[in-house]
Amino acid sequence: MEQSEVLGRVIKILTPYVKNQAALDSIDMSTHILDELKVNSARLVDVVLEFEDAFDIEIADDDVDSVETVGDAVTLIESKFA
Amino acid sequence: MRAPRPAHTRRAARWRPTLQRAVSHALAPLTAPAVAGVLRLGLGYRIVGIAESRRRYREIHSGRQTPLLICANHLTLIDSALIAWALGSPWWYVWRFSALPWNVPEQANFAATRWQRALAYVFKCLPIARGGSREGIAEVLGRLGDVLETGDVGLVFPEGGRSRSGRVEEESAAYGVGRVVRSVEGCQVLCVYLRGDAQRSYSALPARGDRFRVALRVVEPKSHHGGLRGSRDVARQIVRVLAEMEREHFGAHGHRDDR
Repeated sequence: MEQSEVLGRVIKILTPYVKNQAALDSIDMSTHILDELKVNSARLVDVVLEFEDAFDIEIADDDVDSVETVGDAVTLIESKFA
Repeated sequence: MRAPRPAHTRRAARWRPTLQRAVSHALAPLTAPAVAGVLRLGLGYRIVGIAESRRRYREIHSGRQTPLLICANHLTLIDSALIAWALGSPWWYVWRFSALPWNVPEQANFAATRWQRALAYVFKCLPIARGGSREGIAEVLGRLGDVLETGDVGLVFPEGGRSRSGRVEEESAAYGVGRVVRSVEGCQVLCVYLRGDAQRSYSALPARGDRFRVALRVVEPKSHHGGLRGSRDVARQIVRVLAEMEREHFGAHGHRDDR
């Protein structure tokens, strides 16, 4: 799967959880999910579970701790396909 | 299914709680009565049925064979002190120091200055930066799991913060609580619902002279899911129990402010 396709699907999954809608306009790989998109930290796990369902992958508890930016999420998902 | 313990990022973190516990215990004959004195005499608080809640906690604490994590509703900044006071006398805690719960307070509220950090250290706190780096949070949760396995009791607020609505918010279940419970073999959860009669919503402090009612329920949340889904499931089960206890609280007492 192309990185751009993964990124597009990640953004689509993130969108309903984003509180700072303005940040969505300039979203890229370096965008911080909690600080910039203002996703509730308690909801991050729901986002990651949606990644699991959407990409049919399994993400370990420890892996969630490394997800800070959109790029981290994309990299993590891509690593599951490798 | 047992979940992996959140990883420590620094090796030194493993022995820190042991040292902190020793310092905290040495000072407990001074600090524990001081806190109880401030709550009772300084702020005029009372716990309705305090003898019974302390008796139940003593029974739960002495009868358990497995680690115990207290999960409570959260309305004020001093809930952890009120809960500790409701569950045991200062001198009992000095004698049974493992029963005095470790707390995981918000760093910005309780460990922002050097003075606050010193107090947090003495009062068995493991400050956490809510919404901070995931690795930092995992490190603190890992330490909490470690202290539970040594036989000490922990106290967390599974809603992840004070309830802005003043009611238990089931959708706010913080999955980290489930992660800790699942990572500690046989971990039991003591759900504690505590509320002042004058407490309408969340606040920094309860109203001066407020009377508190406390309810206790032991649960052993389990999930057939693994990984994240399992942790979220366990966290939701705990918050659901607290919400049920809240309904029972209002069913029995309604809103009382007849002091």
